[in-house]
Amino acid sequence: MAQVGRGIPRLEARSKVTGRAEYTHNLRLPGMLYAKVFRSTVPHGRIVRIDTSAAAALPGVERVVTGEDIRKVIPEPYYGPAFHDQPILALDKVRHVGEPVAAVVAADPHVAEQAVQLIEAEYEELPAVYDEVEAMTSQAIVHEVLKPAGTFADLKHLAGKTGTNVALDFHLTRGDTDKAFAGADHVFEHTFRSQQALHLAFEPFVAVAEPGDGMVTVHTSNQTPSFVRMEIARLLGWQENQVRVKVPLLGGGFGAKVYVKLEPLVVALALIVRRPVKVALTMEEQFYMITKHPTTFRIKSGVTKDGKITARECEVHWNGGAYADIGPRVCQKSGFTAPGPYDIDHIKIDSYELYTNRTPCGALRGFGIPQLVWAYECHTDIIARELGIDPVEMRRKNILREGRPQATGTKMKDAAIEQVLDALAEQMPWSKPFDRGTGVIRRGRGIAIGFKASISPTTSVAIVNVSADGSASLNMATTDMGQGSDTIMAQIVAEVLDIQAEHVRVMHTDTDITPYDMGTLGSRSTFHMGHAVRLAAEDAKAKLAALAAEAGLPPGTNYPPSEIFVKRYGMRAGNVIGSGTYIPTYQSPDKTTGMSENVTPFWMIGGTGAEIEVDTETGKVRVTRLVNVADCGTPINPRIATTQLSGGATMALGFTLFEDMVLDGGQVTNASLADYKIPGMHDIPPMYNELVDAKQSNGPFGAKGLGESATFGVSPAIANALDDAVGIRLTDLPMTPEAVLRALRAKEGRPLEDDA
Amino acid sequence: MTPFELMEPQTLQEAVGLLDPDDASVRPVAGGTALMLMMKAGVFAPTRLVSLQHIGAQHSEIGVSGAGELRIGAMATLSALERNTKAAEAFPVIARMLPRLSNVRVRNVACVGGALAHGDPHMDLPPVLAALGAKVSIVGPKESRDVAVDELYTGYYETVVGRNELIADVIVPAMQSRKAAYLKITARSADDWPALGVAVALHADGNTLRDVRLVASAATAMVMRLTEAEKILNGASADDATLKRAGDAAVAEAPIIGDIRGSVAYKRELLRVGVGRAVRQALSSRPTH
Repeated sequence: MAQVGRGIPRLEARSKVTGRAEYTHNLRLPGMLYAKVFRSTVPHGRIVRIDTSAAAALPGVERVVTGEDIRKVIPEPYYGPAFHDQPILALDKVRHVGEPVAAVVAADPHVAEQAVQLIEAEYEELPAVYDEVEAMTSQAIVHEVLKPAGTFADLKHLAGKTGTNVALDFHLTRGDTDKAFAGADHVFEHTFRSQQALHLAFEPFVAVAEPGDGMVTVHTSNQTPSFVRMEIARLLGWQENQVRVKVPLLGGGFGAKVYVKLEPLVVALALIVRRPVKVALTMEEQFYMITKHPTTFRIKSGVTKDGKITARECEVHWNGGAYADIGPRVCQKSGFTAPGPYDIDHIKIDSYELYTNRTPCGALRGFGIPQLVWAYECHTDIIARELGIDPVEMRRKNILREGRPQATGTKMKDAAIEQVLDALAEQMPWSKPFDRGTGVIRRGRGIAIGFKASISPTTSVAIVNVSADGSASLNMATTDMGQGSDTIMAQIVAEVLDIQAEHVRVMHTDTDITPYDMGTLGSRSTFHMGHAVRLAAEDAKAKLAALAAEAGLPPGTNYPPSEIFVKRYGMRAGNVIGSGTYIPTYQSPDKTTGMSENVTPFWMIGGTGAEIEVDTETGKVRVTRLVNVADCGTPINPRIATTQLSGGATMALGFTLFEDMVLDGGQVTNASLADYKIPGMHDIPPMYNELVDAKQSNGPFGAKGLGESATFGVSPAIANALDDAVGIRLTDLPMTPEAVLRALRAKEGRPLEDDA
Repeated sequence: MTPFELMEPQTLQEAVGLLDPDDASVRPVAGGTALMLMMKAGVFAPTRLVSLQHIGAQHSEIGVSGAGELRIGAMATLSALERNTKAAEAFPVIARMLPRLSNVRVRNVACVGGALAHGDPHMDLPPVLAALGAKVSIVGPKESRDVAVDELYTGYYETVVGRNELIADVIVPAMQSRKAAYLKITARSADDWPALGVAVALHADGNTLRDVRLVASAATAMVMRLTEAEKILNGASADDATLKRAGDAAVAEAPIIGDIRGSVAYKRELLRVGVGRAVRQALSSRPTH
């Protein structure tokens, strides 16, 4: 029976609902100590003095550790995937409120927490910068020295601009936008902004380090175990085989738990106290770890009178916060898609990643794409409305079709953009009349489409182990964080070996035995690891055939594997180990023009249609229906794929309507779940999910990733629906009831009056 | 969280005796849903907690008298009240409000007395009980006294309940021919604390409103009656013009505070329309008999 294409439930579902699933949070090791973190209260300042004496004197405290103490075990204690800019504990300077400054280790976490309250730090405050556009020219410089990491192939050129807050600037020029604007019938220019928000995984960051004999084991909730191993080894100056990283299931990741986060800290502490040390953050502390980039996107288009876009200029400022994390890649890789999935001859992109004195910003489900789609799909709709062209027609007229070059010059292949648009229009249904209402409640509808390039070039390795009884295990470092990777990888193994997916054992990461994987991120696993797993299973299958031949069986024998082993070894004995490695081809964008013939192995396409109700007296927007459409090629497991659409759309809904980290003088004023709300069950509208009938010709079994695709269009679809309903255009996220009411009242000429 | 003393008295009087009139670090704890959050956040560090769990059985009865009066033991959980069919039949406004009060996990442990004594203006139960004219009986070391719910609050997280007093019972007068509604407006997720709560109970003689009790919460520092708006509504009919005037009067009398859920200017607009909506909702509600 075909295993690929089966909509089986997740293999780990039962263990999760019965409470048997393994998480790092549950781990307790003999002799384990707990550490709590003392954090900066100022956004930018020189450390004058840290007084840990009272904390160290508290009974039950094992050790109080500052940045200088870390140097004793890690002389250069700076980490990061793009720049080695982040100290394990602050050294010399603090750069954002909430930055770790010291840590207390104790057998009782409550004692550690109490001791943290006794630490006193004195800072000489420095001017701070919070806004991404101001950071371009600000005299407040977040990093005086820039240290590129040089780890990843696509970020090898990274240098930063010393003396500025620019961590990376990406530029792309195709054709001549100035000339095209001069010749255009209409030129439109708008600026859109998005807010700082965060992942809020149900399982906050947690890591345990266990020192061993000439080695260290790190148990962690992390999406990139292979990178953790590499980075810890680099920090310690050890060989990679002295670092063992174990990752069980994750209670959500969403891009927060990529690269290293708590791991350098737990390792340093464990090596200092020579005992296992655990750090488990609270929900509240997550507000100071990693967040979604706030952005300012100025977009300008030249358009003919019948709606053909001839030129587009995109200037995007990404607010990277105090440490670069993976922000430079967001700036570049998402940056080159800033003009949208449209066929435009003249393009100019300027994309800037900026340091500011905020919580660092990195990858969050969509990797910058939702911020871009927010701008270009609102802009597209405004143009359509101004020119009196139907929004669907406007998009159809300009859409990037198969074989046409994207902004970088890479020709579109297996990108079902038009199919996604058609499916959206049909499912809305767009051609049917729509009742917009007349009273207090008005109704509107809107659509948006977006696309994303995959990360490139990255490697995945997998091992398939067939035991003598014929049972198969899969060994890989892809992390299942709720997206269902264990299940679909088991389906791939089962398909190749002609067994049941439910019978494949998927091992969780242990880098002592698990081969390399670049990471579970950017919707790359189905494609990259999927190929590696397929290759490993094919290798195992070929080796089984060879074993059968050695045993004297004729080619094409239908003996089951268990009997082949007995025939070959005289008893139930032996193993067959298949391995597979996959890396796609890639051409880096040209440094000056941004051009590349081959910028991505595949494209992710996502579209959203929204129907909303607006309460014109309170400004409250109720989403009454969401249509989520994506191209994920041919899904390995259609059921899991569909849940990725609902999940992504729900997450994006929160970012659209209310999630917002509110900043006052560098302080996050709503850093708790009482004051920062995410969508709950009652906020989820009826949804229709559709995966268009497509095939990724270079993908494993025609499949590609889709974990982010449903996040792309939610915000602009709702903003477009709001315009459709009541004729107001919001350009800042989130679109809170207050923002909507203020816009409505401003339009009516009776603005809300604030007290002086 | 630092160590503290946990007392588990067996009687109400014993519990009162363990409280300290002069020490803010000694507090009673019923369901603990609010107090535990404060302790986790480091806002409250107790030296002694007096758990009321062991006296819960004696003080959690819910009953509706023949005359229609509702009596709720302070240790009744919110979900016990939610599931009580007699209370739901007699006071449909309470039954409509409870399913949207926080979430089922909170309702399963949070107690009615704690929900009233906590003094957080964002809670749903106090404005509804204040509008219905409920009173609480408060037990102290020497005597007990009755206080109307709308006179329970003196400020943000401040009540007239002394540090060595406990709410023992809640008495809600019969609905009779009254109608009531509670309007909860959230600015963010549906399960957020409200940006505004408006509760109303009233009699309707044909088109004429009388005995209107109108209460605001969440947008104000404490649960409070909107007496000026009540004056406009009493004796008037619920037409658009009257409701608008009542809304304007409410905005004029209510000291609104701005927060992360909305500015003062925005919450004023919510209250302006909220008053009329609550009255209309009450009028269209199902009669109890």
